[in-house]
Amino acid sequence: MKQTILILSSILLMLSCLGTAQAEQPLGHDLAPLPRPYPAPAFTLQDGDGNPISLADYKGKVILLNFWGTWCPPCRHEMPSMERLYKRQKNKGFVVLAVNQTETSEDVFIYTSQLSVTPTFKILYDKNSDVAAKYRVVGLPTTFLIDKKGKIRYRAVGGRDFDSPKVEQQISSLISEK
Amino acid sequence: MKNTHLKRITTTLLCLLIGVGSGGAFAKTQVTVEKNPKSGMLSWTATDDGLSIQLVQLLPDFVRAVYAKHGLPAKQYNEIASYCDFGTILRNTSGKTLEYDVRDWRTVDSAGAHGRVKPKSQWAEEWRKAGIHFSWTLFPGSGTFYAGDWQQGFTTIKLPHGTSFDLILKWKIDGVMHTGRIHNMQCASDVTSTQ
Repeated sequence: MKQTILILSSILLMLSCLGTAQAEQPLGHDLAPLPRPYPAPAFTLQDGDGNPISLADYKGKVILLNFWGTWCPPCRHEMPSMERLYKRQKNKGFVVLAVNQTETSEDVFIYTSQLSVTPTFKILYDKNSDVAAKYRVVGLPTTFLIDKKGKIRYRAVGGRDFDSPKVEQQISSLISEK
Repeated sequence: MKNTHLKRITTTLLCLLIGVGSGGAFAKTQVTVEKNPKSGMLSWTATDDGLSIQLVQLLPDFVRAVYAKHGLPAKQYNEIASYCDFGTILRNTSGKTLEYDVRDWRTVDSAGAHGRVKPKSQWAEEWRKAGIHFSWTLFPGSGTFYAGDWQQGFTTIKLPHGTSFDLILKWKIDGVMHTGRIHNMQCASDVTSTQ
C-alpha cells in the first residue's frame, strides 16, 4: 500500500516536473534521408490478436516502421498524426507498422482507448526488443521509411509531426517510384 | 507571465555572464536556467554549435517510481535513484550530422574533481545480468543524429544528491569536435530521506 502511494504521488510529481519539459517538446517536420540506404532487416512479430506478421507480408508497399512505447511522451504526441497520415495514404500502397517495446496488448489497449484518434494501423509487439536491436534503435520513438524494394530510405530519431507537408511529400515520392 | 519571462531573461543573462567570466572555449555556450514553480525543480537549457540540450532535475522518488512501474526490483531502482539523475532532451539543430558519446562528457565538482556520466549500455549490461531487459527510459549513451533528430531520457551521474557541479559536453558536427560547458548545475536533493 505504502509503495502504491509512493508510486502514485511520484507519478503526479513527475507530471508537474516533466510536463512542460518533455511532453510538450516540439515535433520534427521531416524525415532524414539516409546517405546509404540499406535493406530493412526481416522480422516476424505478433499483433494484438496473436497473429504472426512479417515485414515480408508488405513487400511492394511503402512502409512506415515506428518503434514506440506508451510511457514515451513524444511517442504519444506523434501517434495521432501517424494515424491521420495512414488514413490519407493507405489506399495508395502505404502501411504503418507500429512496433511496441516490451509492453502487453492490455497496456496498449488502455493507452489507445484514451486517444482522441484510435489507431487503425497494425501494432506489433517486440517483447524483448529483439527487432529494435536488429534495427539498431537506441531511443524511442525511432521511425524508418522503407521503399517498395525493401530498402530503408529515411530515418527519424525523436518525435515527428506526420501531418507536415514535408513528410507527406517524402512518402508520396516513394509511393510514386516504380 | 511578465514576471516569469523577466526571470527567465535575467537568469539567462546571469548564466551568460558566468559563462563569459569563465573565459576560454566554453564562453559561447548559452544557458537558460528555469525553476518549475509547482515542483521547484530546476532545469538547464544549453545551446551551442548545432546542439541544444535540456537537463531537468529529477527527484530520487520520481526515479524510483518510474522504474518500479516498469517492474525493476527495489535493489535496481534504489541504486539508480541514488545517482544524480536528470531528464535529458538533446536536439541536433545544426542541419548536419551530429554525433555524441556520453563517455566523452565530464563533470567537475567544486573541488575540481572530474567524474563521468554512466552510459545506458553499462546500466543495461548490469540489469541484463539481473534478468531485466528494460532500459528504454535511459538517455541513449551515444548517437548519430541527422538533421532534425532529437532524443530524451534519463542521464545518470554518480554524485551525491544536492551536489553542485559543471558539466562539460562534447559532440561532433560533420566530424568536427565541439565542446561546451554548463556551469553550476545542481543535483536534486533527496527530499524524502530528510523527512
